[in-house]
Amino acid sequence: MGLLDVENLKTYFFTEAGVVKAVDDISFSVTKGTTLGLVGESGSGKSVTAQSVLRIVPKPGKIVGGKVLFEGEDWLTKKEDEMREFRGRKTSLIFQDPTSSLNPLFTIGTQLGDIVIQHQKVKKSEAAEWVIKTLKLVNLPDPEEAVRCYPHQFSGGMKQRICIARALLLNPQLLFADEPTTNLDVTIQAQIITLLKDLQKNIGMTLVMITHDMGIIADMCKWVVVLYAGNIMEIGSTETIFEEPHPYTEALLKAVPRLDQTKALIFIPGNIPNLITPPTGCKFHPRCKYAQAICKEKIPPVEDVGNGHMISCYMWKELNRGK
Amino acid sequence: MAKTSTDADSSEVMKRGASQWAVAWRRFRKHKSGLFGLGMIAALLLIAIFHNYLAAYPARPNAGSFGPLYEGEAGMPPSMKHPFGTTIMGTDILSEVIHGSVYTVYVALTVTAMTMVLTIVVGIVAGFMGRYVDEVLMRITEVFLVFPSTLLILVFARLFQLRVNEPYWSLFGVEIPIGLTIIVFIVAVFGWAGNARIIRGETLRQKELEYIQAAKSLGASNRWIMFRHILPNVLPQIIVLATLTMASAILVEAGVSFLGFGDPNTVTWGRLLQENFNDMSYAWWTEVFPGLAVFLTVLAFNIVGDALSDAMNPRLRE
Repeated sequence: MGLLDVENLKTYFFTEAGVVKAVDDISFSVTKGTTLGLVGESGSGKSVTAQSVLRIVPKPGKIVGGKVLFEGEDWLTKKEDEMREFRGRKTSLIFQDPTSSLNPLFTIGTQLGDIVIQHQKVKKSEAAEWVIKTLKLVNLPDPEEAVRCYPHQFSGGMKQRICIARALLLNPQLLFADEPTTNLDVTIQAQIITLLKDLQKNIGMTLVMITHDMGIIADMCKWVVVLYAGNIMEIGSTETIFEEPHPYTEALLKAVPRLDQTKALIFIPGNIPNLITPPTGCKFHPRCKYAQAICKEKIPPVEDVGNGHMISCYMWKELNRGK
Repeated sequence: MAKTSTDADSSEVMKRGASQWAVAWRRFRKHKSGLFGLGMIAALLLIAIFHNYLAAYPARPNAGSFGPLYEGEAGMPPSMKHPFGTTIMGTDILSEVIHGSVYTVYVALTVTAMTMVLTIVVGIVAGFMGRYVDEVLMRITEVFLVFPSTLLILVFARLFQLRVNEPYWSLFGVEIPIGLTIIVFIVAVFGWAGNARIIRGETLRQKELEYIQAAKSLGASNRWIMFRHILPNVLPQIIVLATLTMASAILVEAGVSFLGFGDPNTVTWGRLLQENFNDMSYAWWTEVFPGLAVFLTVLAFNIVGDALSDAMNPRLRE
């Protein structure tokens, strides 16, 4: 049992056009003190998974089944006002766009201080110290001055540092980072990744890194969950998925541009399927170059193929026999 | 960030560091007509506060009696002694207009306060909570929107006016005209619906922004999100709507009084228009000056509302 165990989670969006199965029966486990990668293309259900764990899925989304066990306790059965104990304290979330995830009207000190005051019942001055202490943790230069500034006075990278500090304010045990570097310059990306790695090392933070960047996965994560169209394709340690990948993971890895590449960029043909009327069988089969008749008929079960490597593919064994 | 920038642009950073109110005020100051309107409103307020010192003649002891104002100068055209002329009953129109400004300010403030409370609560709660809460609140709002409000205001004004026994109600030594207050309530009840829809729309837009999700993910309650995060972000729209509501409140009250459905115990500008209506053909000044007072006041509020909506528009960055 890990720090967080997600079991058979199903989150559907009930739109007017039909039911979108954004997350359809996924299970994974996060071990304390490690970094788990959650990979997939846009629309594969990565963010919805994080939102489901915190139960902040936007309407018309609804969690329709499964369990979210945090230290063995199922938080999906809790009442809404009990979730306040969970959000921010046990699990916290860093968003993709630091600019829109800070309230533009309040200074950094006010909006971070508010959170501390709401949760910890401390005085204003203590909350201010708390905020400055946390801002130091994320290496924000001159935090005493920064608390008096408004969000628009900071650069994107600084704003993301502030957002990370905000997520850390209440000392959560688990941190979801939802593509925290997607909206940042490449140089700043590296800084934020380094910061997250340092935090993980120094305070033993458990981290779930949501990304589509295989480079970040290779750099940071010990374990990886590969999602496609709301289904799990594979779970494994970073080495195994790089060495013996699922056909989808293989396609993702090939799509990473390389400097020594002389031919045109490789991409995965087709698009992520329409989730209202998903393909039958394995959802990846229309785009998979190894697909056989059986892939169209039945959803492949998630099988343990050894060393905790879980695979949902009929063809994988055959493909990796030689290795 | 302020500290990491060079000295050359540090003043620029300081300037940018101002709160949104400072930014809005700086933009408002550049708006010539807005400043002019603000000046007119300030003048109206001063006149209302010091009306007893400014008017050459005292207010009527009660609305029906013209007694002490008779000086044998009935129906005089504008002159040095009576700048706005006198009525057929012999009252000094300038003095009446000055005394009437108190009621204008009273109506503008109270109608707007009541309307805005309803607007904010209904608009933000409906927009944020969504689903059946939104459904119920919006259906109620629509009922108020489709009512022929002018007609109903007149009906209710007459209905309640008949039950008023005393002209004033004393509150901490201030005399509150009961009849006028009833009209204020009726106008407010029929005036909030359109505003609430606008604030609901703005709330829907704010609600989708990531900072709301972020607040939720850190355990903020719905009430906290609605009134600590969304309310300040829709406040610019609320202020603009409030200014425009003041203008329309003054206009509606003047209209109700002009039609003879006003408070019989208070001499508002609308009532002056009604009293002198029959004399208009031979004493134009009896109608023109009170009418001008209404016109200029409403104009001032509208100009300021316009300037505010320009100044607080977040899409217009300097």
